Amino acid sequence: MTGPVDPDERASDRRTPDERESAPDETGTRPDGGHAGATVEASTTPVTAANAAAVRGSVRRVLTVAVTEYRLAVRSRWALALTGLFVVFGAMILTFSGSALGPDGAGRVVASLTSLAAYLVPLAALALGYDAVVGREDEGWLAVTFSLPVRRSEVVVGTYLGRLAVLAGATVLGFGFSGVLIVREFGIGAWSAFLGFLLGAVAVGSAFLAVALLLSTVVREKTHALGAALLVWVWFVLIHDLLALGLVAAFELPDIALTAFVLSNPVSAFRVLVLSGLGAAAGGGFTALLVDSGLSTASITFALIAWCLVPVAVAARFVRRRRL
Amino acid sequence: MRIDATDVHKTYGDVTALDGLSLSIPSGSTFGVLGTNGAGKSTLFRLLVGHDRPDAGTVAVGGTDVTDDGRRIRELVGYLPEHVGFPDGLTGREVLGFHSRVRGLPRDGRVADAIDRVGLAPEEADRRVSGYSNGMCRRLGLASVLLPDPDVLVLDEPTAGLDPRGVDEFHAIIEEVTSSSDATVVFCSHVLPEVERLCDRAAVLHEGRVHAAGPIDALAADAADDDTGAANRADDRHRGGLRAAFRAAVTDASADEPSEVAP
Repeated sequence: MTGPVDPDERASDRRTPDERESAPDETGTRPDGGHAGATVEASTTPVTAANAAAVRGSVRRVLTVAVTEYRLAVRSRWALALTGLFVVFGAMILTFSGSALGPDGAGRVVASLTSLAAYLVPLAALALGYDAVVGREDEGWLAVTFSLPVRRSEVVVGTYLGRLAVLAGATVLGFGFSGVLIVREFGIGAWSAFLGFLLGAVAVGSAFLAVALLLSTVVREKTHALGAALLVWVWFVLIHDLLALGLVAAFELPDIALTAFVLSNPVSAFRVLVLSGLGAAAGGGFTALLVDSGLSTASITFALIAWCLVPVAVAARFVRRRRL
Repeated sequence: MRIDATDVHKTYGDVTALDGLSLSIPSGSTFGVLGTNGAGKSTLFRLLVGHDRPDAGTVAVGGTDVTDDGRRIRELVGYLPEHVGFPDGLTGREVLGFHSRVRGLPRDGRVADAIDRVGLAPEEADRRVSGYSNGMCRRLGLASVLLPDPDVLVLDEPTAGLDPRGVDEFHAIIEEVTSSSDATVVFCSHVLPEVERLCDRAAVLHEGRVHAAGPIDALAADAADDDTGAANRADDRHRGGLRAAFRAAVTDASADEPSEVAP
C-alpha cells in the first residue's frame, strides 16, 4: 500500500550537488527508444558519470579545505616566519662554511645544510601541524565544518595539503635563497646536489607534518598535542640515532637492522638520501655508517612517501570517531 | 521535511544521554526542544546531523536514516552548533564562500543574499571574524546555515549569550525564515518565552526521554489540567502555559510515563 506523498518531498529537487552534476540530460537518456545496446548504455553510463561526479565533488571539497588552510596559514604569518627562519639559518650555514672551497666545497655546504635541516624542518613541520585538528576544534570551526556535507577524511586530507603547501613553499623559498648563493659561489654544477637536498627537506617536512596531523587528531587538548609533538621531535631527531648508534656499537647487528633504523626514522632517511648523493662530502659518524647501509634511493623515497601517507590515512580513520 | 527519532539510546561512558527517546517532528513545523542541562538536547541534535551514531534506535530525516548516509543528511540539514566559531583569519564573506564551495552551490549571489538576510552590513562581512562580537558571529553562523536554503534547520541554543536586542533581532530573522520557506526548524532553548513566540510545537526532554510533546497550546492546556495546584506553580498558569508544562514534565519525570499530547 502506498501512502500519501508528502508535498515537501515532491516539491524540490532532492538530488545532491554531485548527483546534479552527473545527471545526464533527461531528453538524452533513451536516444533510440529501446534498442538493446541503448539499454546497456543507459544502465552503465549514469553509474560511471555518478562515480566521476562523486570524485569531482570530493576533490572540490578537499581543495576548498586546503585553500582555506593555506590562506589562514599565510595570513597568520606562518609562511613568512618559516621562510624567514630557513633563510636566516641557511645564510648562517653558508657564512660559517665560507672556507669550504675546492671541488668538494659545494658538497660540504649541502651536507651542512642537511644537518641543519634535519633539526629545523621537523621542528617547523610539527609546530605548523600540531593544532591542525585540535586547534580547529577549540575555536569551534571543526564542528561547523563537520556539519557540512563533507567527509571528515576529506577535511583531514585538505587540512594536510593546505599546510603542506605552506611548509613546502617556505622550505623551497627559504632554502632556495641558500641555493642561489651556492650556485653563485660554486657554479651551476652544484645545483643537482642542492636540488636533492631541497627535495629531501620538503619530503622530511611532509612526513613530520603528517605525524603532527595524526597527533592533533588523536589528542583532545591543544597543549597535549604540543607536548606530544615535542616528544616526537626529541625522539626522532635526538634519541633515535643515538640509540641506534649505541646498539650498532654494542652488538654485531645484521644489515637488515641498519635498514630498519634508517627506514623507521624519516630524519635518518632524509640524511641518507641526501648524503649518499654527496659521496666523500658526507662526513663520518653514524650518518656515514647509515650511508654505507646500501639502501637504494628508491627504497628511501618510498619510505618517506609512506611516512607521509600512513599517518594521514590513520588520522583520517581516527577523526571519524572523534566526538565533538 | 519530517524528522523521526524512534527509541533512541545513547550513552557516553557511564552517562546515559538518551534513554529510549522517541519523537516525531512534522514537516514544515517550527519545533522547540526544551529541557534542563543534560536532558539530551544537544545529543539529539548531534545525532540529527550525523556527528554521533545512536547506540540503539533510529533517527531519520525525510525518511533517510542518518546512519546510512551522513553526508546526504548534512546536505538537507543546516546545523548551527551551540559553540559556533570561525577561524580568526577569515572574513565573514570568506566563511560563507567556504560553505558555498563545500556544498557545491552555484555562484549566484546567494552569499550576498545570506549576508543581507541576517542583517550583516556588507562592510562588516568584509571584516575579519576576529573583530566580530558574539552577536555578529551568531548572525554569520545563521547566514551559513541559511545559505543552501536547507530543508531542515537545526539550531542549538541559537540565542545563548546574546543581549536582549540581539535576541530580538535573531527572533525576527527566524520568523522571516519560517514565514518565507517550508523549512522544518528545530531549535533548543532554555528560554521558554522564546519557544512560545517562535514555535508551533515543542517537546520537553528530561533525562534522555521525551516527557511531553505536541502543539504549544495543547501542551500548555494539558499542563494546566494536570497541575493539581502546588503552591509554587500557581502563578505559572497565568504567566505562561509552556512554563507550567515544562515544570510539570521535569518535576514529575521520575514518576510519570512519557506523555504525548494530541495535536
